[in-house]
Amino acid sequence: MADSMEIKKKVLADFSEFINPMKVRTLKSAGIDFIEEKRSGACSWDITGKRFIDCQTGSGIMNVGRHNPEIVAALKEALDTYDIGVFLLCSRQKAELAKKLAEITPGSLKCSIFGTGGGEAVDAAIKIARGYSMKTEIIYTKNAYHGHTGFALSAIGRDSYKEPFEPLMPGFVMVPFGDASAIRSAVNKNTAAVILETIQGEGGINIPPDGYLAEVRKICDEKEVLLILDEIQTGFGRTGKMFACEHWDVVPDIMTVAKSLGGGIYPISATIFKEEIGDFFVPHPFVHLSTFGGSDLGCIVAMAAIDYIIKNNLAEHAEKMGQRFRAGFDRLLKEYPRLLLEVRQKGLMMGLQYTNESIGPRMTLKFAERGVLAVYTGNDPSICRLMPPLVITPQEVDEVLNVLEDSMKELSGEKGIGRND
Amino acid sequence: MATSEEILEALADYQVQCNNNARLRRMQRDWSRLLHFSAEDTGDWFTMNVINGEITFCKAGAEGTPDIIVTARSEDLCDMFWGDLNPSQKYLQGEIRVKANQEDVVRLDAITMIIWPDV
Repeated sequence: MADSMEIKKKVLADFSEFINPMKVRTLKSAGIDFIEEKRSGACSWDITGKRFIDCQTGSGIMNVGRHNPEIVAALKEALDTYDIGVFLLCSRQKAELAKKLAEITPGSLKCSIFGTGGGEAVDAAIKIARGYSMKTEIIYTKNAYHGHTGFALSAIGRDSYKEPFEPLMPGFVMVPFGDASAIRSAVNKNTAAVILETIQGEGGINIPPDGYLAEVRKICDEKEVLLILDEIQTGFGRTGKMFACEHWDVVPDIMTVAKSLGGGIYPISATIFKEEIGDFFVPHPFVHLSTFGGSDLGCIVAMAAIDYIIKNNLAEHAEKMGQRFRAGFDRLLKEYPRLLLEVRQKGLMMGLQYTNESIGPRMTLKFAERGVLAVYTGNDPSICRLMPPLVITPQEVDEVLNVLEDSMKELSGEKGIGRND
Repeated sequence: MATSEEILEALADYQVQCNNNARLRRMQRDWSRLLHFSAEDTGDWFTMNVINGEITFCKAGAEGTPDIIVTARSEDLCDMFWGDLNPSQKYLQGEIRVKANQEDVVRLDAITMIIWPDV
């Protein structure tokens, strides 16, 4: 233990000196300066041996669980034969993964291009939308989060992420999330696409009102505008369906996926689109390339992750565990009305709305002390995001709920927690 | 060897095929080019004008300043416009030569792939 404490201090010092001192400071003050070592199932262990249940999961990377042995085995086996591959060439692994994605995504989504992360997938989606439509405007929503790369950053609905890097891409128009009439008003002859997260994650687990996505789909059809749905956090069983848009029977023209596509093991993302949109690439076969996107190893890992999610009915399990969480949340809502305002939830995509913004960081600290990693959302610190691995067990759900209750009990005796405090 | 009339007949058919292909028209709607075709064995020249993906005319003679010049034997040009030969293959064999930027060369191949997927 003494040795591990020393190692931890050294890691934090080096991280601070050679990467980012403010990040270390912020994580320390929130009590989440964990240095992950062992990882398994829904849990991870700090280098000092402290176990925590991971309800952050890199905002949804770990749907199949931490260090899933089946995914690890698939990668190990692949490494005996393959490497990343030459991106210029066709590859069996890419073809198989693209076919699999066409099978599991809704409607007529069929063709894929690959990247290494969500931002890259969104960049590609916007490029395809502009290239295919020959129009330039992109409508995005307030509090949206699509990644930190060029086009994706321009579609983020939070100024503080964007302002240091202005001027950004022109032609991006922001509207409120959940208001289809605002989209109708914003669409014009030069609108290429509307981009939405099916459920806003970073913005505070904002679940769209019923009818919203269907209405947006209708507007897009009427005005010949493409609909891009960002399923980067919501995809692969997270919400109780394979993709969140299936809750509302809405099929986008372009869908972006990443995070759990890589099984928590290997970075990979995909932009999936309807075949007719793929015609854009016929005269431009090399117009969008990614050296590491859809590497042979990444595709093998992604296939293993998808197979694991299907074989183990993780979407269904997410729905069941979500209901178990919900019963506990309902108790907490009754017992701690000065702390907890509402619960936003679809399956295991969950957000607790606190009564004020200062509660988020304080609760993160209390959760961490009790062995749960759960952090407030980037665009709204009054929301605690809970996105545990979908393999979480009923016992672990109860453990998290107990930690929430104990933390709330302790915080309710402290100052500055009520709506009007 | 193909006569100028035979090539013009093949060009006329090619124009109809391209202009009536909705997928191709949608795909090519951002593409406007003036093309010259040179039959190296007969010395005949032909001009094709494409505006926003629509072939607006094909005629004998070299008209205007071309964006693209395609040079081949007259029979190969004729066969190409009828869809009877794979121009990519001939291009790689050096029997069809294209003076254009690389993007336009890919475009020409893409057009062939859409209207004659089996060639």
